Amino acid sequence: MPTFKLDGREVPIEPGDTIMRAAWRQGIEIPHYCFHPGLSVAANCRMCLVEIKTDRPMLMPTLKWDPEKQAYVPGGKPKLTPACQAPAVENQEVFSKSPEALNAQAHVQEFLLLNHPVDCPICDQAGECKLQDYWYTSQGKTKRKRTEPVHKPKAVRFGPTIVYDAERCIACTRCIRFCDEVAHDHVLDMRERGNKNEITVSPGRELNHKYTLMTEHVCPVGALTSRDFRFKARVWFLRTANGVCNGCATGCNSYVDFDPRHNKVYRLRPRDNANVNKFWMCDDGMLSYHAIHEGRVLQPRIQNGETRATSPTEALKLASAGLSKTNGAKIAIVLSAGFSSEDNLVLAQFGRTVLGAQKFYLGANGGWEGDNILRNSDNNPNRAGALAAVAGAPVGSLSDLLADAESGAIEGFIALGGGVAETAEQLAPLHKLQTSITLASNVGPLEQIAHLLIPVTSFAEMDGTFVNAKGIAQRFHRAIHPLPGVTPAWQTLIDLAKLMGKPLALRDLAEVRGALPSTAIGTGTGAGIGAQEASR
Amino acid sequence: MEPIYEHEEETALELPSEPMRLNMGPSHPAMHGTIKMQLELDGEVIRNIDIVPGYLHRGFEKSCERGTWTQCFPYVDRLNYVSPMLNNVGFALAVEKLIGIEVPERCKIYRVILGELARISDHLTCNAAGCMELGAFTPFLWFVKVRDWIYDILEQETGARITHSFGRIGGMAKPPTDKLKQAVRDIIPQVDKVLAEVSATLVRNRIFMDRCQGVGTLSQERALSLGVTGPMLRATGVDYDVRKAYPYSGYETYDFEIPIGHDGDTYDRFMVRMEEVRQSCRILEQAIERLPDEGPINVDDPRIILPEKDEVYTTIEATIAHFKIVMEGVKPPKGTVYSYTEGGNGELGFFIVSDGSGTPYRVRCRPPCFLNLKAAEDMIRGNMIADVVPIFGSVNMIGGECDR
Amino acid sequence: MSKQVLSLLQERFGAKILAVDSFRGDDEAHVAPEAWHEVALFLRDDPACAMDHFIDLTAVDYPEREPEQPRFDVLVFLRSLRKKHRIRLKTRVRDGQQLDSLTSVWAGANWTEREAFDLFGVRFKSHPDLRRILMYDEFVGHPLRKDYPIQKTQPLVAYREVGATKLPPFGADEGTPFARIDWLARMQGRNQQVSPAIAVQQGQQPALSIRREDTGPDAPLGQPVRPDQPGQPDQLGSKA
Repeated sequence: MPTFKLDGREVPIEPGDTIMRAAWRQGIEIPHYCFHPGLSVAANCRMCLVEIKTDRPMLMPTLKWDPEKQAYVPGGKPKLTPACQAPAVENQEVFSKSPEALNAQAHVQEFLLLNHPVDCPICDQAGECKLQDYWYTSQGKTKRKRTEPVHKPKAVRFGPTIVYDAERCIACTRCIRFCDEVAHDHVLDMRERGNKNEITVSPGRELNHKYTLMTEHVCPVGALTSRDFRFKARVWFLRTANGVCNGCATGCNSYVDFDPRHNKVYRLRPRDNANVNKFWMCDDGMLSYHAIHEGRVLQPRIQNGETRATSPTEALKLASAGLSKTNGAKIAIVLSAGFSSEDNLVLAQFGRTVLGAQKFYLGANGGWEGDNILRNSDNNPNRAGALAAVAGAPVGSLSDLLADAESGAIEGFIALGGGVAETAEQLAPLHKLQTSITLASNVGPLEQIAHLLIPVTSFAEMDGTFVNAKGIAQRFHRAIHPLPGVTPAWQTLIDLAKLMGKPLALRDLAEVRGALPSTAIGTGTGAGIGAQEASR
Repeated sequence: MEPIYEHEEETALELPSEPMRLNMGPSHPAMHGTIKMQLELDGEVIRNIDIVPGYLHRGFEKSCERGTWTQCFPYVDRLNYVSPMLNNVGFALAVEKLIGIEVPERCKIYRVILGELARISDHLTCNAAGCMELGAFTPFLWFVKVRDWIYDILEQETGARITHSFGRIGGMAKPPTDKLKQAVRDIIPQVDKVLAEVSATLVRNRIFMDRCQGVGTLSQERALSLGVTGPMLRATGVDYDVRKAYPYSGYETYDFEIPIGHDGDTYDRFMVRMEEVRQSCRILEQAIERLPDEGPINVDDPRIILPEKDEVYTTIEATIAHFKIVMEGVKPPKGTVYSYTEGGNGELGFFIVSDGSGTPYRVRCRPPCFLNLKAAEDMIRGNMIADVVPIFGSVNMIGGECDR
Repeated sequence: MSKQVLSLLQERFGAKILAVDSFRGDDEAHVAPEAWHEVALFLRDDPACAMDHFIDLTAVDYPEREPEQPRFDVLVFLRSLRKKHRIRLKTRVRDGQQLDSLTSVWAGANWTEREAFDLFGVRFKSHPDLRRILMYDEFVGHPLRKDYPIQKTQPLVAYREVGATKLPPFGADEGTPFARIDWLARMQGRNQQVSPAIAVQQGQQPALSIRREDTGPDAPLGQPVRPDQPGQPDQLGSKA
């Protein structure tokens, strides 16, 4: 494998690599703004200038101050190369920390901050802003300019999701390149020249494709901000957990950013995964975190004639009683394509061993418009995992369930999940069954028609596995703590089985995961390209 | 009726006895700060003593791990709360040693001035409390009068009489006011006057000498082995003063002496402190002459020192600097360092461990009076209850520093 | 001057001195725990070292080093009166492992070891009186350990029921949470930061820029190498 030397360290080169990309693969970061591993190279920020050792150096004639002679003497300044653009050549010697390179970084940083507005206290990017971080590491000096900064429009509405602040913009063109190359919608472009540069929306249009929040994600400064997250939380209060989006069968990897003080999720960010979502997520996926806090089932509820809340212990007792008095073989097991493989597996085993049920059905969302960028037309995260949980047994749809209920083959059901494609009116006949129990995290049709409703945790409050459309099983991790008394569905079912006197062989998460079929086991949360994830 | 034992030998009448356990408990008029001493008494004589510190333990070392480096200054202040400026300077010097920077000359002189003022007030307080407990109430009031004037100067400079939180990494919070020089010049003769008064009344006083001389002796070897430092060590005859042995902050350029005793008893400690006040005044006179009226007080690095407020509001670099220093903290490089200065009671050391972040990983304060207090056990054992008071008073155990 | 002491130690004890260091002028010797008492005696008695002045003894907790390395660093600070040199001895002990007491070498170790036991739980063999010193006897746990939560209280007398207005003004995780490291969550791997600068600080992601080390003896293109201090560039001591 050909290598080159970066600051004395050997870095392997893959074909077509630039210096920056080869370093990025190894987890070495050369300071940069406009480079992004998922976008084309622009080389307009000039922050990544490095010194490449050659025997024919291009020296620019300069004057250097000689303190001994107390006069300016002729000197030479080597021409520096942008690392994001220069191809990595075998046996080249590159220095990104030589005095000249450091000097260049300091000055580029100074130029970028020349006209920057004093917005840190109100800018959402504070705490994850590259200007702040590189000021600290590279510049560390106060302002020399004494004239009025250039003023530009602020808080420009680009679209329903994005707000633009031209003063904060450093004109790195990441947003333009993203919209062109990834979203395939050339809606943003640069306007004016020189220090009047600003990003503008195509006339007559607004920024409304399905990946607009990614423009905010790639923006290294606070120029593009998302309306959804604006002014809601400061990032240094947020911790993050590795998650998987539950919006569709692509299963984009995400970071779930939550505030441990309030136990609340504030936003999602995409996590790099070369095999699944590269560096991106779609808008619907980014906004899917609202379901963690809105429309949740908070307490167990009885909806059989009377509607009243009840306690978790009583709910389990009622469930146990209800299931025991119904013929086990006639209880429908309704799996969910929106719940983790662990939940589905334990429900299937519960059905088979505790109840003796034989009929499985799948509750799922109906599907949405997919595209060939990221969105899969199946808007269920775990259809494959749910089907794998029953290991080959026939799984019907909810219309089959309705038919079987009418014919009398089914006398009750135990279901995972409240949200399905069918409406509550369509599912109303199921309310007449003898026993109907739903374990749901969010409200939905299945939740409305069940006799007994038991809350379970959402994806942000549990560890679990989703299997995406390509068969890649991915693990997501717990972010926030569940409400008191609410446990993951698999845990609730294990407790229920114990209460019914027929405890399952599975007792904890490790055992549940051990029982998953090989197609549904997640080994990790997806590999990032190189050791470094989420290069902003 | 004759006493029944009149014709018997006294020694034949041995009443069974056992030592009495007495708590000179945490709340006691003569215990400075909260300290419990469990005494085993045989009559008036103390057979054994167990000193139980920890009543003022506030978890300062753990609390320092919770904020940024600058947020440690209020905690550090409250260690030896009668000479807080010395603690501030000590901690600032420790972090500056770790970073590898030196403050400008003007700041060094300013630190020396404020530090010596704090030292004078510490010694005056100790001696005042010591002699008050022996019954000499008037010298207490004389000392405290002058100490209050010193607090006035410190209040004018820093804004608070004690626990100023005035030190910063890389400098001080504010430059000296223009009233400082005259105020210090005015106070030095007052200090001298009160020292002279107390010397005249107390130092050759028969009762004072009887109660203090020969009481609570500590030998040099024992003191060194115990880790005693400061006036207590110097009273035993060891001439160890951090300002002379390992000078910092420009102390090598000042002309002063270290008073030492030779018996290591309470009287020597009292006299050493008195003389140290005189020497501190000498240092103050020299430092005041040297203090430049203008010049930088802080190190010129916006990554360490907060920029001026007008710049913070108008320039982005200063805003970012302010943001980074306040939100993430000053970031010393990874490493461990032990830095020591002469506190009021002895070698005040700060052992700091940095993991490269703005949060301290470990801040250990080497408390001089914690180790001095162990020596007090040796000194008290074998003496009488009434001797506990002068001995303990001369140890100058400050609860905040001992227990942290 | 203390370098002589370090080299004396290395000559005399060889492999038992695991490392020597001299960062910012502080001389430190890392000693194997078995040789702790021996080295201490040597330092006190050897006329070239003559470390008769005991300064301090303390411990530092690095829970993330386990299980590869022992978690506690026990340090002893010493000084020689005549020779004026200083040294710092360091050793590493595991939780539950006992270390020799230095009380027989210097009397000052008595209370300082008691404090290390009290606050960290490090036990010292043959200490004459190993009991708690700063905390009360009924206290459970060792407070300066990283996994002891700072907001935990163990009142001997139960608190009265008071309304919300009288409770402390902030909860466990509030105040300056960026710097307030939740060690229990961190040791479980659940303290991943969002802000990259703080994440870099806490070692969760590589540095924003490469560490400023010397680029080697050959200066690039004839320019002299800037003698920067080793460390992260976003730390001080490395001049821009």
